[in-house]
Amino acid sequence: MASADKPINTDVPEKDVFALHFLQSLSNLRRQNTFNSPEKTNDRVKKIKKAAYVSMARAAGGTNRLWSRALLRRAAKENNKIVRFPRRKKRVTCLRRRSNRRDPVEEEEAERLRNLVPGGGGMGTSKLMEETAHYIKCLSMQVKVMQCLVDGLAPK
Amino acid sequence: MLEGLVSPESLSLSYADMSVPERLKWLQQHQQQEVLSLSSNDSPDLLQILQFHGSNNDELLQSTFSHFQMVGSGFGTNYNMGFGHSHEAMDGYISRTSSCQIHSPDTMGVMLKNSEENRAISLKNKRKSEVCLIIVKTREEEKTEKKIKVEAETESNISNKEASSDTSKETSKGASQIQKLDYIHVRARRGEATDRHSLAERARREKISKKMKYLQDLVPGCNTVTGKAGVLDEIINYVQSLQRQVEFLSMKLAVINPELELGVEDLSVKQFQAYFTNFPVVIASKPSVMVDVPLFPLDQQGSLNLSVSNPNQTSIDAPSESWETQSQSLFASVLR
Repeated sequence: MASADKPINTDVPEKDVFALHFLQSLSNLRRQNTFNSPEKTNDRVKKIKKAAYVSMARAAGGTNRLWSRALLRRAAKENNKIVRFPRRKKRVTCLRRRSNRRDPVEEEEAERLRNLVPGGGGMGTSKLMEETAHYIKCLSMQVKVMQCLVDGLAPK
Repeated sequence: MLEGLVSPESLSLSYADMSVPERLKWLQQHQQQEVLSLSSNDSPDLLQILQFHGSNNDELLQSTFSHFQMVGSGFGTNYNMGFGHSHEAMDGYISRTSSCQIHSPDTMGVMLKNSEENRAISLKNKRKSEVCLIIVKTREEEKTEKKIKVEAETESNISNKEASSDTSKETSKGASQIQKLDYIHVRARRGEATDRHSLAERARREKISKKMKYLQDLVPGCNTVTGKAGVLDEIINYVQSLQRQVEFLSMKLAVINPELELGVEDLSVKQFQAYFTNFPVVIASKPSVMVDVPLFPLDQQGSLNLSVSNPNQTSIDAPSESWETQSQSLFASVLR
């Protein structure tokens, strides 16, 4: 049966939170000795990108959002760290995968969306929409922060 | 007990004479009595009432009765009370009782859950097709469905006229007495299937479309496109473009930083200035944040804080576009 129809909550923290987390991760990156070597730009790019995503996930949702959880878990797996999240109250249901709940018309698009949004594979369509909305907000906030940083640090 | 109810004989006499709105008014009048009296489990009397009235709708009543039996004894008897009165205005009656009775602890898993406000709102909804009962929909006949729609429409009209506070009052009274639980009332449209699965399916689809509307407001440029597929396409493109922007900006950052070739101390100062321009508000008004930042030496923070605290006050409320330009100007001033 359909669950409760609570008002959709997609509050996103202010820009400062994002900026703070991102700068922290950047400075952590800079502390690594191998970071500032002029060669190997691609590695640096990848690290910065990963740092951007991780800091965004931490700033925006922490462990309260499905996509941020999936992002953090994915990032930790790359570092071979084990990430433990506190148990959620609701069990992650596999019942969602029942075929009669899927509408074939919108399923292709939903599949593409699932590939884009982290953690999308484990969500039902309805939950996917909420997570996408929050993800979009956080992404746009992160882009703004990074843009400001780039503009600020650009050589005059 | 059944004292609160009108006796069956008077029911049978008066019922045929009353017209639909009168019946509904009668039902409303007896609403409160029924709420109090429906907590009983007096099945033999109910069966009498059922047999009394269920002459031409035997199978209907039997099917619904059996349906309720399997659902739960307490709840079933409550519904049977409703059936006992009539079968035509049953729907309106049932919706009334259910709006109160759903608060009973032995709930059925059949009813959808919703918040009370949404239920009141859904009753007020202009789209009349939003209020109905799922229980009633277990019947398969379209004729009765039409009647249900009529009844429920008139009921919703009356409730709208009498101010929606009535329904919320009833529900709140029911809630105050018993444990509060929330349900959604979904109305099946005319000509659509009435079984439970399609109703739940429809409710789910409506939820998804509501969320898609929310997404449509979020993504710029989605208003022109109609249809779910187009909106979803736009959303996907937007997410992809945002991710590409992140990648592009991170590349830019990677290029910029090592090119500056600053030492650790200078780096921290410059970084602090960049940090500073990003959120001058934080430094000016939230000293706790600085405690969280172990990166920078405290004396630097103190000095820079003092120097630029005044110009910051003006930029606190700046919107995002001018935020960036102001931050850049601040940055330039600090660098000097």
